[in-house]
Amino acid sequence: MARKLVTSLGVLSLILVITALYMVFEYVPTEADEGIVQRIFYFHVPCAWIAFMAFGLVAVAGIFYLWLGGQIWDDLGHAAAETGMLFCTLMLVSGSLWARPMWGTWWTWDSRLTSTFILWLLYGGYLMLRVMIEDSRQVARFAAVIGIVAALDVPVIILSVRLWRTIHPAVLVTRQGGHGLQDPRMVATLLVSLTAITVTFAWLFLVRFAELRMGTRLAALARGIALAEVRSGDI
Amino acid sequence: MAAFTAILRKDLRLEMRSGQSTIALIALALLVLVVLVFALDPAVARGPQTAAGALWVALVFSGMLGATRALTAESENGCIRGLLLSPADRAGLYAAKLAAAFIFMMIAEGAAVVMMVLFFNLEFDTALMRVAPVIALGALGFASIATLLAAITGRSRASDLMLPLLAVPMYVPALIAGVRASTAALSGLPFSAARDWIEILVAFNVLFVSAGYLLFEHVITEE
Repeated sequence: MARKLVTSLGVLSLILVITALYMVFEYVPTEADEGIVQRIFYFHVPCAWIAFMAFGLVAVAGIFYLWLGGQIWDDLGHAAAETGMLFCTLMLVSGSLWARPMWGTWWTWDSRLTSTFILWLLYGGYLMLRVMIEDSRQVARFAAVIGIVAALDVPVIILSVRLWRTIHPAVLVTRQGGHGLQDPRMVATLLVSLTAITVTFAWLFLVRFAELRMGTRLAALARGIALAEVRSGDI
Repeated sequence: MAAFTAILRKDLRLEMRSGQSTIALIALALLVLVVLVFALDPAVARGPQTAAGALWVALVFSGMLGATRALTAESENGCIRGLLLSPADRAGLYAAKLAAAFIFMMIAEGAAVVMMVLFFNLEFDTALMRVAPVIALGALGFASIATLLAAITGRSRASDLMLPLLAVPMYVPALIAGVRASTAALSGLPFSAARDWIEILVAFNVLFVSAGYLLFEHVITEE
């Protein structure tokens, strides 16, 4: 059942991504101001939305883990953090590729870039901690706490960084929401690529989640066997 | 509350008799300032803006050391086991460790401010009095996250790396706000110039002191 879902999501994501690529490169008209580079936007924005959603999911999973317990919440948060990190990286990379021709620089300490980068560092630390602690129950508790604290931090980061850049304005002006989607074909392309990326995220997330669940079950089985061996040895 | 005062009094007495943490913190803050003076161009390394930046770098690094020391001292002698077995609640333990880290950081910062004035050619005047509350807010904010995180990273491999890796990105909003507010205070600007930044610092403190207070029981366990 779960396996079928994962497979069908994978196939669906493949079809959608190909459709989205076709629309981005062939169907949608070139934006007047920015030219051909603007097309990266159709993948950049969905990645941003997925990254934020995934990190929200990490915090929710953390709350449920501390509240109800249960390894499933930890596996959920773990899978969401890893997949979210992937899309957060894609967002930073695609943004950087866009910024080079548009702003003339790979990187600038613009408010959104800075917030995203700090978020990326935060969840990088979260994932690294998961590797650095061996005890699986300790990891689950610690990761839950860090997931919650990091999510609490996000609004303060965004607020402070925005204020920081408003007082010291960037040399290059950010186009605040002015991506100019006047053409209905642009809206359609964005919606299709948004769906494509969301389905891809759901697929990757489920693959990883299923794998982590399997690992949990395997560990429980191994414990059971070890226990049985100890008991039979006694008799 | 009784647990809070007892643990804090114990930490302070230990510190009064050995002086280890404060000396280490002051030494680190001094070193950071010295490194920055040499790293920056002498023409740049003067004036309120650079001085405020240098002071906050010193605050972050000494804070990291302070938070680690407050908790490792307990686990080194297995003292943490006794604390956890005692009826003292974990939130009280957090508050005491936070208060101890905050006090040590403030002592180190006091020394750092004096050195900052000397190294960066500032004046000993009333501007320093106005920087003090900003630094206090910054130190409290840093102590609040570092105490919570140190309890976590103390259990991990490469804990010396993991604490800064987690604490520094989390501290960024307070760092930005603190540097700006300190620059405004040192430049003699009116309070209104720093108002937004002070508000962010206060919000950061409220958020993370309460988060630490509520979540500490989940991270401090014996095994």
